[in-house]
Amino acid sequence: MAFVQNFPFISILLSLFAGPISSVLNGKWAKRLNLFVITVIGGMSAAVLSFVLGTGQEYVYTMGHFPAPWGNEIRVGILEAAMALFFCIIMFLCVIGGVLERELEIEESKQNLYYIMVNLLLCSLLALIYTNDLFTAYVFVEINTISACGLIMIRQTGRTFEAAVRYMIMSLLGSGLLLLGICFLYSLTGHLLMSNIKEQAALLQASGEYHIPLLVAICLMSVGIAIKSALYPFHTWLPDAYGYSTLSSAAILSSLVSKGYIFLLVKIFYRVIGFDIIRESKVINVLFVFGVAGMIMGSVNAIKENDINRMIAYSSVAQIGYIYMGFGLGTTSGMIASIYHIVSHAATKSLLFVAASGITDASAKSKNFFDLTGAGYRNKLAGVAFTVGSLSMVGFPMFSGFISKLLFAQAAMENRHKIMITMIALAISVILNAVYFMKTVIRIYTPEKKTVVVDKGFEEISFWEQPAKSFALVCFIALNVFLGLFSEPVIGLIERGLEMFA
Amino acid sequence: MKWFAEGFGLLMPIVLSGAAGIWLVCSSFLEHVRGSKEPYGGRKLHVLVGVVLASAVILTFAVIWPKAGEQSLILFYLMDDIPVFFHVDALGRLFAAVTSVIWLAAGFYAFQYMKREGEEKRFFGFYLLLYGILLALDFAGNLVTLYFFYELMTLCATPLILHNGSKAAIMAALKYLFYSMCGAYCALFGIYVLYQYCDTLAFTAGGTLNQALAAGNSGLLQIAVFLMLIGFGAKAGMFPLHSWLTAAHPAAPSPASAVLSAIIVKGGVLAVIRTVYNIVGPDFIRGTWVQTAWMSLTLLTVFMGSMLAYREKGLKKRLAYSTISQVSYILFGLSLLVPTGMTGALLHVVFHAGVKCVLFLAAGIFIFRTGKTRVDEYAGIGKSMKVSLWCYTFASLALIGIPPFSGFISKWYLAQGALQSDTGIFRIAGPVVLLLSALLTAGYLLPVTIKGFLPGEGRMPEKGGDGDVGAEIQGCNSGAEAAAGADAAGKPDMMSAALLVLTILTVLIGLFPEPLVQYAAEIAAAVM
Amino acid sequence: MNAYMMVIAVLLPMAGGVLIPLLPFRKRNVMAFYIEMLVLITSALTFGLIMNPPSDAFVLFRFTGQLSISLKLDAAGSVFAVILAFLWPFATLYSFEYMKHEGRERVFFMFYTLTYGVTLGIAMAEDIVTMYFFYEMLTMVTLPLVLHTLTREAVLASRTYLYYSLGGAAFAFIGMIFILIYGSTSNFTPGGVLDMAALGEKANLLLFVYVLCFCGFSVKAAMCPFCAWLPKAGVAPTPVTALLHAVAVVKAGAFATMRITYFSFGADFLRGTWAQELVMALTVFTIVFGCSRALKETHFKRRLAWSTVSNLSYILFGITMMTPLGLIGAFSHMICHAVMKICSFFCAGAVIYKTGRTYIHELDGLGRKMPKVFVIFVVASLALMGVPGLCGFVSKWNLAKGAVASGNPLAYAGLGAILISALLTAIYMLTIVVRAFFPGKEFDYGTIADIKDPNWVMLLPLCVFVVVMFVIGLHPQFLTEALEQVVSAVFQG
Repeated sequence: MAFVQNFPFISILLSLFAGPISSVLNGKWAKRLNLFVITVIGGMSAAVLSFVLGTGQEYVYTMGHFPAPWGNEIRVGILEAAMALFFCIIMFLCVIGGVLERELEIEESKQNLYYIMVNLLLCSLLALIYTNDLFTAYVFVEINTISACGLIMIRQTGRTFEAAVRYMIMSLLGSGLLLLGICFLYSLTGHLLMSNIKEQAALLQASGEYHIPLLVAICLMSVGIAIKSALYPFHTWLPDAYGYSTLSSAAILSSLVSKGYIFLLVKIFYRVIGFDIIRESKVINVLFVFGVAGMIMGSVNAIKENDINRMIAYSSVAQIGYIYMGFGLGTTSGMIASIYHIVSHAATKSLLFVAASGITDASAKSKNFFDLTGAGYRNKLAGVAFTVGSLSMVGFPMFSGFISKLLFAQAAMENRHKIMITMIALAISVILNAVYFMKTVIRIYTPEKKTVVVDKGFEEISFWEQPAKSFALVCFIALNVFLGLFSEPVIGLIERGLEMFA
Repeated sequence: MKWFAEGFGLLMPIVLSGAAGIWLVCSSFLEHVRGSKEPYGGRKLHVLVGVVLASAVILTFAVIWPKAGEQSLILFYLMDDIPVFFHVDALGRLFAAVTSVIWLAAGFYAFQYMKREGEEKRFFGFYLLLYGILLALDFAGNLVTLYFFYELMTLCATPLILHNGSKAAIMAALKYLFYSMCGAYCALFGIYVLYQYCDTLAFTAGGTLNQALAAGNSGLLQIAVFLMLIGFGAKAGMFPLHSWLTAAHPAAPSPASAVLSAIIVKGGVLAVIRTVYNIVGPDFIRGTWVQTAWMSLTLLTVFMGSMLAYREKGLKKRLAYSTISQVSYILFGLSLLVPTGMTGALLHVVFHAGVKCVLFLAAGIFIFRTGKTRVDEYAGIGKSMKVSLWCYTFASLALIGIPPFSGFISKWYLAQGALQSDTGIFRIAGPVVLLLSALLTAGYLLPVTIKGFLPGEGRMPEKGGDGDVGAEIQGCNSGAEAAAGADAAGKPDMMSAALLVLTILTVLIGLFPEPLVQYAAEIAAAVM
Repeated sequence: MNAYMMVIAVLLPMAGGVLIPLLPFRKRNVMAFYIEMLVLITSALTFGLIMNPPSDAFVLFRFTGQLSISLKLDAAGSVFAVILAFLWPFATLYSFEYMKHEGRERVFFMFYTLTYGVTLGIAMAEDIVTMYFFYEMLTMVTLPLVLHTLTREAVLASRTYLYYSLGGAAFAFIGMIFILIYGSTSNFTPGGVLDMAALGEKANLLLFVYVLCFCGFSVKAAMCPFCAWLPKAGVAPTPVTALLHAVAVVKAGAFATMRITYFSFGADFLRGTWAQELVMALTVFTIVFGCSRALKETHFKRRLAWSTVSNLSYILFGITMMTPLGLIGAFSHMICHAVMKICSFFCAGAVIYKTGRTYIHELDGLGRKMPKVFVIFVVASLALMGVPGLCGFVSKWNLAKGAVASGNPLAYAGLGAILISALLTAIYMLTIVVRAFFPGKEFDYGTIADIKDPNWVMLLPLCVFVVVMFVIGLHPQFLTEALEQVVSAVFQG
């Protein structure tokens, strides 16, 4: 066994222990530790990825060498490693992008608490990605929920408390349903390890026994995760949670937390139940319908919104809708498109959140849409970044959004019943995206009157004034353009990863 | 003259008057732009215009002189297979001759008349230009060339109508323009279609319709032809696109109304003849719904025009209605699709041109001298404007069709044509409507004469000759105009002279119509 | 010429444009010289390419194995490229004078020049993906131009423009995907690329997609019901409305519909289907609708913009006939309308520049004060009306020839629509002319005493356009022959 193969486990442990350690450090050192941990884990994930790519084989890592059904397993394939790497990159950028806000918005004494949460979140995400055990997954789902709650309410305002409570309630409901689903599966198959369940599920399907309970289990798990990842109409917790929490929280929550759950769902589809069974159950049709509805309704809500952060938050609802729509197509290419969109949306949405904060900084912290007039001139980099993010969102060629749109559309072609619905939903959604994103772009590039600028105390922000944020923005832009122009290797990774899943 | 024989000769009058016209228009425009105060041309202008007009007319007659032979000229190619092509044939000769005579007379008349209207240079510029275009229209050898000059005619006549620049005149000019355009585009539709289904768009006696192509598409073709009739009919004042005439004529200066009524509406007639007899061929529409509809429209217009004229009080507007009615006589004759009918139509073209020109010029003199426009205000003018009123009377009689004057002959042929034709109810209905209309014509034209010479007891001006009329006028009209009127009254002048000459010509041609009738009959026979 | 030249032609104005705000120009004239040279060189290069088209394509960039940005100049693309290469230098020249009073010139010229490159990209696109790419880019680079004045009106207009354009592209995208999946290649191929055997019973679905795609691309060509953005976009500076919203951008839309109709879906596949009837009906409706709105409009530039709406549908109408003659008509109207409309817009711009008047009722009597501009405007009006001897007649004739020859009853209706539209054109153009030259007796010229014609920089382009209008109008054979060659290349596949 190569040493590299230990890395996934080590990275989970590393992030898990970095949490408690942070509690004894002060804010500054906690941050450094956190960034260090993320970097190290990112490096390790990269090493794992290259290893897996080299062998071309996935491998199973049994903790403590206890074999199933007693031991706990980690399973590492290309997709897992790639996701881990990608999540690390995004998280790193989010954390440094939001450093200024954290210092301003979070009490001095609670600074280190924040990094505990981030570390725990990273840990749970990694666990969700790597684990081969359904119950372990559940445990980390809960850890994920709790740390996410912490991230939301660490900025102590009434709004965030309310949002956190709401998030907690909805999320626990989701977890509860997920747990119920897992129980069903356990009683049906007698296993908790994913590979074992899959074998049993295939047998059940073949024999035709327990058809309904299996279906119920699938439904429960799908709905549970859908609630947690804010699929329309279960999205009501999202705008407040994203809109009012501190910048890095919002960015991390929107780009990583919900994506972690969605990745778990992908694993459940492929690794636990088997994609064929999923495809035959009608669950994906339900997901498709909700996905399409989310694409439209999320954008419609975003259009109505005047608060820029909440607008971007609502846009997440729409983007999650895209992902579920891709699942709903029930084809491998649909799945590839969805996973690509997970990546693309994570890169774009965190870019947008960070850019929006840059813009609001230049508008005396006002998030009101009308105060943003001319902000693109006051903070040039943030303006450009926001434009790039918006263009990516409306599927402008050269940016990542275009490729995911393309993949979705191409995937839709394979499902003859859903072609036109998907196509038209895509088109309408693009138009709606254009309405609110480009409206904002035009707004930030419409100069404000001098008097107003002085009255409201808007100030110019140069590149070097907020070096961390600027660095994060530049990286995000580069990431977006990279995903838009050189998508082929990424898609290749996803394809090969999915092959390993099956 | 080799050059002349090659056909360039026919360009000479066109180019001469066209170039002179453009030069005058430009120079008048530039005067305005530069704001120079140079008074309008004056005598020099008149001499120039007179010389150009006269020499252009002479050149025209040189071209159309029957001995000159049939000349044709391809100027250049507008489309791959469509040249701008001139060809002088019998019909073109007839129209060109009429145009030239009327243009000359009205031109000389205008020298005096337009002094008061101002902007003479512009007026004569467009007047000359229009003459050139009309000649080109008459000489046009294919449908597209015809359409080309038809559009130019429409455009260049507009400034003549809005000449005095009043709101009413501008609106009238726009109305004229848009009605004409509407007609032109209807016709253009037909041209597009005919281009596809005809062997050539060059005018050929009997038509050029490709029977093989047309076989399955007669429905479309009939619609196209009908649209062309309506479209070109707009210029000829045929219902339903007739109402521009009554707006444009009163607004325009009298010489302009005269040529508008006498010549420009005939442009529409020419285009209809060319379309029906030289492109589509009378056989194609004979007996179809197109002919029926066409005849119905013309008869309706004849009757309606007369009725409205009868009810109208303004003299020029009344004459405009009369034009609507009379030109539809011509169109009715053409719609019969028999040689006699066409002969009558051609005769009526000539006669109506002369007569209506005389009427308008006379009306112009009345207005010029009295400043009044309503018919019932002309009581007693016979005292001061004897010559003009006599001219008016002769022309009226001719138009009504009282033998031996000219209108009788043309109407006779028209009625003959109707009776000869195989058109069912229209054989009878036609002549009846013509007769009714003739009665109405008498009813609306003669009151002016009667009131003019016999104003009745109550309205008789006090004895004392011409000056008294002038005095009376002075009482009811603004000073300067009336003074000018009184000044000129009674003296032999350019206007009366032109009017008189034209009247004499008209009467003579009515009295000795033999050569003309023969000529028209030949044309008609050639195309049937 | 080498295929590299195409890349240079496309990238030169883009790169040079981006440099404009960065370069340290001391004097305005130096900047003007730099821009004009940039545009001229690009035009020269384009003409060179059109004369000796490179035989092979040039792949600029590859998204994925199947999707690439590649350039190739074919006959149909040359037509569009000729229009652009001819008009752009003149329009730029005009802008130097005009933009003096608009301000923010560097930003303006940057995007103006960028647009040149992007539109050339559309003309030279080898496949549907490339075209889509440049098409989307066109929206973005022209957006700042619409926004230029930064007034509230401009902001609203640019939003509308953006929503419409991106929305159109979103539907065009659907067509692109179907071509990628069902076509044998994504390259533009005369006769279309659809694999009929693979299509099977999906033909109807594909027709539906064609309609979506056509509508999507024709948003830029302002086809009804997607035309509302164009008149609103008239708030942009006149060089933009004249060159972009009468020629480059809108014709890019028409050109794109031509591409998908003849080179992707294939005329044979579409001819006689309900899809053809539907799109043709839309164009026919737009022809009349645009004109009637123009008639109602009292704002000078907006009236011309509505007129553009109508005239663009002439082109689309020609395209939807799907016959060689119809396509000749479409191309010739594309060329003729470009010249006529840019000329009329430049006249309007000259009036705005010199007097600041934007409404038609304010134009009274200006004919005498700005004689050159208004005489040119008369010529342009007559050409738009289709008076013989000017280029408008030629293109209408070609369209009509195609319509009659197609034998399609709807095409006859379209012909009727064109003629109705010509009448309406006469009304809305000539009322302006009459106002300008014959303001009425009561009009006091003293109120406009100090208004003069603009200088030669503005007049030169106008004069050139007038000459072109006459040349094409009086001697159209060279045009028709060239287009016949182009079209025969399109239909030989």
